[in-house]
Amino acid sequence: MTERVTEQLAVGDVVADHTYWITRENLIRYAGASGDFNPIHWNERVATSVGLPNVIAHGMLTMGLAGRLLTDWLGDPAAVVEYGARFARPVVVPDDDIGVAVRVAASVTQVRDDGLVALELTVKVGDQKVLTQARALCRLPADRPSQP
Amino acid sequence: MPIDPSVAGRVYPPQYYEVSREKIREFAEAIGDANPAYVDTAAARGYGHGDVVAPPTFMMIIVMNGFDLLMKDLGIEFARVVHVDQRFTYSRSLPVGTRVEATTRLDGVRAVAGNDLLKIRTEVRDEQDGTDFCLSEATLLVRPEDFDGGDASD
Repeated sequence: MTERVTEQLAVGDVVADHTYWITRENLIRYAGASGDFNPIHWNERVATSVGLPNVIAHGMLTMGLAGRLLTDWLGDPAAVVEYGARFARPVVVPDDDIGVAVRVAASVTQVRDDGLVALELTVKVGDQKVLTQARALCRLPADRPSQP
Repeated sequence: MPIDPSVAGRVYPPQYYEVSREKIREFAEAIGDANPAYVDTAAARGYGHGDVVAPPTFMMIIVMNGFDLLMKDLGIEFARVVHVDQRFTYSRSLPVGTRVEATTRLDGVRAVAGNDLLKIRTEVRDEQDGTDFCLSEATLLVRPEDFDGGDASD
């Protein structure tokens, strides 16, 4: 495949979508991996004492999952040039074995001449956006490597 | 007690961090990311990297070290803090074995509805040659110390 992938993209295209599940176990694992041991992410007593409905996911875990959608699509993780989001609503994680479903979709907002593509990520729990202004700028390789 | 706005402009001592293979693997597993570029040197080379690289949001580990310094300096406990927004601008990939220097600056302090909003800028550079890896721009919301309930959902 040698043609530039950007030529196949148009504004409004949904290039990827996926539903991710977050459980309490994921929060513990992310706390350890990231070093973010804020108790609102693992201790119900502390979470409710500061006015939260229950234990909530790390904003950066949600952003990391949404970023996975991008890097799964791109292949090369370094093709993400800019990535940002606003943590608009807490993702409440129930104390059960199922967790909470986070639906992520990425759509094209701009295809640039320099090979960069701007994307908007829609990140929802139920019908509510949990991340807003979730945007990324990605570099699409002229010749995407075949899937490993 | 609200945060004194005169602390804006404070720059914290650089924090050093070495990117290790096992931390990359652990972080990728924690976000459930099976991308081979994080664990398989050959796959990473297929994308033009010298060795495995860190996931984009791995950068937060490095940035958080500076947040910790800032929060200690201002006497803020973790449970009062909410991450409001986060943005990364990447200059290049972050490969295993890299030693970085992260400099944290408190760009602004603003009181909003009884809370304090902190704008924090972190520059992550190569420890050896000073070249850029990433710019992080974040906003943290700090609730007042006497907070004892209410709605923190937005």
